[in-house]
Amino acid sequence: MEGTCERESVVGILANPESGRDIRRLVANATVFQVAEKSNMVMRVLLGLAAAGVSRAVMMPDKGGIAARVIQACDLHRTVSSRPLPELTFIDMPIQCSSQDSLQATRLMQDMGATVLVVLGGDGTHRLVAKVCGQTPLVTLSTGTNNCFPEFREATIAGMAAGLVATGAVLKREVCRTNKALLVEMNGHPIDLALVDLCVTDDPCIGARALWTTQNLKELFVTFAGADAIGLSAIAGQLYPVDRSEAYGLHLTLAPPDGLLTEVMAPIAPGLLLPVAVSAIEQIRPGKTIALATTTGTIALDGEREISFGSSDRLQVSLTMEGPLTIDVGAVMAEAAKYGCFAHHYCPALATLMLREVPAPAPFHTK
Amino acid sequence: MATQLDKTNLLNAYRTMKQIREFEERVHVEFATGDIPGFVHLYAGEEAVATGVCMHLNQRDKIASTHRGHGHCIAKGVDIDAMMAEIYGKRTGSCGGKGGSMHIADISKGMMGANGIVGAGPPLICGAALAAKFKGDQGVGVAFFGDGASNQGTTFESLNLSMVWKLPVLFGAENNGYAESTGVKFNVPTANISDRAAGFGMPGITVDGNDFFAVYEAAGEAIKRARAGGGPTLLECKTNRFFGHFEGDAMTYRAKGEVKDLRERCDALKIFSTQVTSRGLLSQEEMTTIDSEVKAAIDKAVALAKAAPNPTAADLLTDVYIAY
Amino acid sequence: MARKLSFKDAINEAIAQEMERDQSVIVMGEDNVGGAGSPGEMDAWGGVLGVTKGLYPKFGERVMDTPISESAFIGAAIGAASCGMRPIAELMFVDFMGVCFDQIYNQAAKFRYMFGGKAETPVVIRTMIGGGFRAAAQHSQCLYPIFTHIPGLKCVIPSGPYEAKGLLIQAIRDNDPVIFFEHKAMYALKAEVPEEPYALPFGEAKLLRSGEQVTIVAFGLMVQRALQAAEALANNGIDCEVVDPRTTSPLDETTILQSVAKTGRLVVVDEAYPRCGMAADISALVAQKGFESLQAPVIMVTPPHVPPPFNGALEDLYMPDSARIEAAVQSIVK
Repeated sequence: MEGTCERESVVGILANPESGRDIRRLVANATVFQVAEKSNMVMRVLLGLAAAGVSRAVMMPDKGGIAARVIQACDLHRTVSSRPLPELTFIDMPIQCSSQDSLQATRLMQDMGATVLVVLGGDGTHRLVAKVCGQTPLVTLSTGTNNCFPEFREATIAGMAAGLVATGAVLKREVCRTNKALLVEMNGHPIDLALVDLCVTDDPCIGARALWTTQNLKELFVTFAGADAIGLSAIAGQLYPVDRSEAYGLHLTLAPPDGLLTEVMAPIAPGLLLPVAVSAIEQIRPGKTIALATTTGTIALDGEREISFGSSDRLQVSLTMEGPLTIDVGAVMAEAAKYGCFAHHYCPALATLMLREVPAPAPFHTK
Repeated sequence: MATQLDKTNLLNAYRTMKQIREFEERVHVEFATGDIPGFVHLYAGEEAVATGVCMHLNQRDKIASTHRGHGHCIAKGVDIDAMMAEIYGKRTGSCGGKGGSMHIADISKGMMGANGIVGAGPPLICGAALAAKFKGDQGVGVAFFGDGASNQGTTFESLNLSMVWKLPVLFGAENNGYAESTGVKFNVPTANISDRAAGFGMPGITVDGNDFFAVYEAAGEAIKRARAGGGPTLLECKTNRFFGHFEGDAMTYRAKGEVKDLRERCDALKIFSTQVTSRGLLSQEEMTTIDSEVKAAIDKAVALAKAAPNPTAADLLTDVYIAY
Repeated sequence: MARKLSFKDAINEAIAQEMERDQSVIVMGEDNVGGAGSPGEMDAWGGVLGVTKGLYPKFGERVMDTPISESAFIGAAIGAASCGMRPIAELMFVDFMGVCFDQIYNQAAKFRYMFGGKAETPVVIRTMIGGGFRAAAQHSQCLYPIFTHIPGLKCVIPSGPYEAKGLLIQAIRDNDPVIFFEHKAMYALKAEVPEEPYALPFGEAKLLRSGEQVTIVAFGLMVQRALQAAEALANNGIDCEVVDPRTTSPLDETTILQSVAKTGRLVVVDEAYPRCGMAADISALVAQKGFESLQAPVIMVTPPHVPPPFNGALEDLYMPDSARIEAAVQSIVK
């Protein structure tokens, strides 16, 4: 791959051992994602990056065992294999053992020159990263609970794709897409965002964070809502699916089922199908600001209660089309195949002959 | 979720947490005067855990506690005067002065005993839960244990046995960051104690143990599940210890300013107060009234304990057997 | 003629009759049913040597298999006992106490005292003791002195089928924690056992043979051997009294002291290790409270201070037998 050595290519990898431990494991049979598996995924990402020619990777440190296991696995790999690995650096930062670590690491990785971030986590982790990642594109890998935003994908392939974008072998503009986001303002100040759904409840406490009942749900905003979605956006998805690429989102007014209003049986968490009544649905366009009708309660961002507000607070929600950039791994790999990024033809003529059954051989990228 | 807590419940929650805090702060002060004998381990900082869990329990339900057991006792309804007298080793104490801080128990309240052996509670609570199952009384058992005890074989065996026998148990892991003086980052190679549940096929969850509402909600769901025959849960509450391992611990293993910082940022009572006042659930006045009532009650408990008689020489020989 | 029952069946009958009488009696232990979670039949074993066989068909879920996890299930039995049940837990071999001892000596034994008399822990822990099976050092010990050492525990060592049934019924009905030691070499031993339930009180020694010259105090299987020795000695004109204390905690000091006051000579036969064992304990008792009546040194007949060996010839040397008891008696009857 031409030019890959001229400029150092750096990829950031975010995997937080603190994520994925919430109450949905109890109330909704949700997945427990072991630290050991997160470390294995990181190794597979690293091997994918190496195959794409990435010279350096940066990771956030942690005390939960991911970093330690990855270091061990890298040492072992170097002992038993001659295939290269990117040089791996851990960010020098204090560890709080909370989701704040992901925020801090995202900022520092960009300072260290990371041009692509590979994020292992659920909607919650991706939301945190989205708050501070700016124009740095993300490769998303689902490990969390209620996941709509990140993809379920093999980490090796994600690493290969991230590597191709980082080295410039595949052009970022060809394979990146912008995502929508919901912005929350409190008393005139922007305070947070959601990538998939924003749910307003009249429960005054953040409590165990996740939502696992529908009786307190008052309003729901979604950026997109698949008919096959899991999580709160499924409430919208069951009635009025909206694609990630559409230039609008939805605002739903919710109520406890009363036998009159339209009722949806929605999978609001894995294994948790609950009825909720919907009294109104409106499309929201970018730039339009909607004031909350609820006066006291909490706001759940991508499934977890994060903001508590009272009657003296003014809350507004708006949709933006300028959310985080994500890399379409499928598109990257299609480009890679088209240009033979992972193929090496010692004799191009023989390669052309090999493709007997294919009518029009693709032109090979010049080596 | 938390909205099921009405005003009375919220006031009770605050009162319990305040009682624990005031009790422990006072024992800390009194211990320094030299009047309290023996080994004393204080629960201050961890109030939200005992309170958030025990609010879901009735007197039929059993808890097994730890060497750091005062908070569990108070949350389970053990009489404060009797507890204080016991800590002073007096005849009027919960155990007649024969147990002390590490062994306060009140079987009639379902408090199966503080325990001087790290990791002793989980097997016992499996038995309590087994008894509830045989009696069919929908009773549950809660084993409180710390991050240190999470490494004991008894704890692992009990997690296993409770799944094998489908017992109504809540394993309440109180992760306060320290097993005596040794940090949890050294002791527990998984990021979370709750991760270990997966090895037993049990749900394991972690909540902020300084947030009463987080503990209350999670414990509520786990206990509801256990009562309904759904089996055990491992609930890890990440919390903090405001005092040393034992009274007299100079805590040189802790970072400079660590406790001060925790008291500012992670105080369960402050967090609770802010939550309930900012949402208009309780007023500051209501809590201030409780503060002064609790303080008076603890003053009284200390005065009673100091004035109470010591056990007699004859008490040395009683209570070993029911009949011998 | 009265019915004869084996030691093993006497234990089984005691448990069954008490389970019949009292719903709070439950049984748990490794393979106590035998077959749980296996493709074959339930009640396949009924305990590793079949002592609890037949209970599961009669009492269903009140008879429970456990994982091989002594700390958890012995602890659970103790916890259940303090919550109103009467569990009978089987610690298969007493040698395994090392993995669960905390629950027995720091928990069960101490609840009542530590909690100021407010706890009741009516648990029975049945466990096999003793040599003779060529089972080597980890399956042959007689560790009852260790339990006897702990205040708060009651320790029972039946010496035959009649004692086994009556003492076990008492153990189950007793409100304190009881450790019940069954010598595995006696399971097949048969004797007359009444069909109806009966309880033998703890702390009451049984005078098995009256005699004038030497008192032999023995425990468990050693009672049988002491009786053989006394029989042989009687043929040689030596008249021995044989005392079976039946429980080491509580211990019937009176019967022992009265017997020594009468005979003036004491031989204690104990299959436990000699140091800090029951033989030493009873020797000390008599030295303190019966010294004036002693006409000869007290003789302890015990194994040497070594672990039980595997080799049969060595184990036979290790275990006290009637010949050694006879020699001990003869050494003090000149």
